[in-house]
Amino acid sequence: MTRRKTGLKAAAAVGTLAVGLAACGGGGSGGSPDSGTPKKGGTLKVAGSSLPDHIDPASAYSSINQGFSRNWALTLFTNTASNTFSQTIPLVPDAAGDVPTTDNGGISKDGKTYTIKLRDGLKWNTQPARPVTAADFVRGLKRTCNPASPAGAPYYNDLIVGMDAFCKGYAKVNAKSASAMAAFQNGHDIAGYTAKDDKTLVVKLKQPAGDFLNIIAMSFASAAPKEYDNYIPDSKEFRQHTVSDGPYQMTSYDEKKFILDRNPNWDAASDKVRKAYVDRIEIDLGQDSPDQVQQQLEQGTADLAWDQPVPTTSIPRLVQAKDDRFAARDNPGVNPYIVFNMLSPNNKGALGKKQVRQAIEWAIDKSAIAKNYGGEHVAQPVGSTIAPGNVGYDANFKPYGTPGDSGDPAKCKTLLAQAGYPNGLTLKFPYRTNSNHAKNAQSIQANLQACGITAQLTPDTNGNFYGTTLVTPSDAKAGKWDIAAPGWGPDWFGNNGRSGLQPLFDGRLYGANSPDYGGYNDPATNALIDKANKTTTPEQAQQAWAAVDKQVMDDAAIVPLITQKFTMYQSKHVHGAKFLPAFQTYDYSMLWLS
Amino acid sequence: MSLSELAADAVPADVEPTGRQIQGRSPFRLALSRLLHDKMAVISVIVLFLIVLFAVLAPLFASITHHPYGAQYPDTARDSWGLPKGPSGDFWLGADPLGRDVLVRAAYGARISLGVGIAATILSTILGVIIGVLAGFVGGLVDTVLARFMDVVLSFPYLLVAIVIATTFKPHSTWLSVLITIGVIAFFSFAAMARIVRGQVISLKEKEFIEAARSLGASRMRIMFVDIVPNLVAPVTVLGSLLVPTAIVFEATLSFLGVGIQPPMPSWGSMLNDADYRSSLWLLFVPGGLLLLTTLAFNLLGDGIRDAFDPRSERLITRK
Repeated sequence: MTRRKTGLKAAAAVGTLAVGLAACGGGGSGGSPDSGTPKKGGTLKVAGSSLPDHIDPASAYSSINQGFSRNWALTLFTNTASNTFSQTIPLVPDAAGDVPTTDNGGISKDGKTYTIKLRDGLKWNTQPARPVTAADFVRGLKRTCNPASPAGAPYYNDLIVGMDAFCKGYAKVNAKSASAMAAFQNGHDIAGYTAKDDKTLVVKLKQPAGDFLNIIAMSFASAAPKEYDNYIPDSKEFRQHTVSDGPYQMTSYDEKKFILDRNPNWDAASDKVRKAYVDRIEIDLGQDSPDQVQQQLEQGTADLAWDQPVPTTSIPRLVQAKDDRFAARDNPGVNPYIVFNMLSPNNKGALGKKQVRQAIEWAIDKSAIAKNYGGEHVAQPVGSTIAPGNVGYDANFKPYGTPGDSGDPAKCKTLLAQAGYPNGLTLKFPYRTNSNHAKNAQSIQANLQACGITAQLTPDTNGNFYGTTLVTPSDAKAGKWDIAAPGWGPDWFGNNGRSGLQPLFDGRLYGANSPDYGGYNDPATNALIDKANKTTTPEQAQQAWAAVDKQVMDDAAIVPLITQKFTMYQSKHVHGAKFLPAFQTYDYSMLWLS
Repeated sequence: MSLSELAADAVPADVEPTGRQIQGRSPFRLALSRLLHDKMAVISVIVLFLIVLFAVLAPLFASITHHPYGAQYPDTARDSWGLPKGPSGDFWLGADPLGRDVLVRAAYGARISLGVGIAATILSTILGVIIGVLAGFVGGLVDTVLARFMDVVLSFPYLLVAIVIATTFKPHSTWLSVLITIGVIAFFSFAAMARIVRGQVISLKEKEFIEAARSLGASRMRIMFVDIVPNLVAPVTVLGSLLVPTAIVFEATLSFLGVGIQPPMPSWGSMLNDADYRSSLWLLFVPGGLLLLTTLAFNLLGDGIRDAFDPRSERLITRK
């Protein structure tokens, strides 16, 4: 349930463009990006804007950080990098020997016990090389509750037996003492997450969960060596002493640059998901302008962008020039959408009324919003809370659909009058000034105006918008805002209702920092979410989450606007780049340099 | 020869030897006649008249094109990339990134630019004259306090402070943002006016006619309003006419930075901010050209007015 941090941040910089240098077309050719025979060697130069908020896999939650740690902190399962979206959805074993199923005995009949075997060939980059054990994975999961820099994901506590109690105890430990934290970790167990032997993990769940393997595949649950007991999690000392069980190891870390070199102990033969052609990966930070990064990529002085997509203004030029080093990769999520503050007392509590929200659903021209992002090549209007490629998506379910997704303000006006507001409404609409959000706000404002609704725009920074404006229940109840257009992206694709829908629509979780910004709370929806979370087969999950979607759309809890693609550009040196949608990055361990 | 003969022989003072009648002309008529002989100033007046006409006729443009200034036409005015389309039969000066008519927005923007520029100038002139006269005429502690206050205002990094003020108030209605913008500009412009007025008042105060008035028993209020203030009209008019373009640029700067006039009300500054110059040059040239034309015209007119009141002063652009 990450906010799409990287995308948002990058787009922020795009929004601040002033009269700049016209981006010149990059010269030179290195052949087609996908042609040629892979070869080993070279340094991959990655140009980035800012230091990730976390490096420690126990707390790294933004998409780019999780993609980065995949190179040096293996998880039990992972997704295959591919430029065909559907191929990236299934989980494949990474540190595990195979994917547990009820058929192979890895999952018990009641769906509550998972037995996971580690594969051969896993070694830490320690001297001498030490095998990675099931106990290391247990240590890794325990570290997610550390009081210094805990993981932000709620899934483990909700699902694993004993995790909640363990975390509550751990939270009381002195967060400034590495030894106190290590002592607690080594002295307490999670009842439902244990190492049966060096190579076998046994997981016990409170209830069946068809998406548990996705949850345990997140980088939070990667293995942690005993050396990590010496450092405060995610501290600078930790970051300078990471230990690797992947193809690369971090050999240098400071706030401007970090370097990955080959891990001499990595066993290429046993790793089925990585090739590791490149010798070294250098990530240079501090390059805030997406245009500058783009120029470097086109000139070949850098190979990939770290945390920024292609500047929106460069996209038409690249596509029209048929530049095959540019690509818009599938990254489906509903981002942005309009959320209603249902707790607002303004307009006599109008937004708390279903008929009013349903009227507004008709008003918005979604194709105009898509155009703000570069048109159909980069963004498509969405009709419901689930974008294509996510569980529960139903292509035929298009409530409030209008021709060309252009909206029908007249219908909005009629319905609004029927709902008892013939004279319209006045809504407070805080909007982010970064990226395309100012444009979106003006588009939405014009649509609402046509329906007789006055939207009072208030500019806000991206940080304040997510950090204060939307997530302070007392402000929501005081009517400090009425509508807003935030974004949300799921943590994984496929069976991801728990990460994509529940955070937004489970009213029982409403409170400070809840992403259910508008305080939507409907008992029927909550019951449907509980039911969907307990499903074990993909078919059941599909039906159950589609039911949640229908209920939420009938309640008009949000106005879904668009789904965006993630735009990528690679230098002429890069070949064989394959995309990891959940991490919004190419897989560094699969590409090669010419 | 008698005295009466002498008087009869004398040529009357207001008749030239050729016999043409000379009319007594006030300083203003003299200035006006000088101004009307200044080609640049006359051209500037014509240009400004046209821009005012453009602003006044904004609703007419909207009704001819059927494009209200806030209306967006994403289907017809933007291509499949979402980029705005250029000038065409439907959109005479092209569309902006949201698919709005640039011509109509430029016309409404002219209202904002001229309105804010002139309103802010009037406000800062009133403030500047009051404070300048008080400081210069009363003198002593009042002068010290007011003069230091002017110095402080003049030494502010005005753009930064203006941005802070504009963002702190976070106006959520367009008209409130217009008022705040006028207030911010006036606050940072009055000190220049006040300082010059104060200098004039201090020098006027020592003149003989003031002494004469005082010796005749005129009250301080009478001296201030009857003897001093009318003598300030010339410098204040000159400076005021030069403050207008400064205020217009100030408004455009604030709006360009997103802290001035709030959407959807167009302003030339915010139109420039919306522009992506690489793909759509008309978004740069229309508001930018109008802004250039307006400020240049006001500056040249201000220059002309100064020449007219004081022909010995130096010009902004020297002409043969």
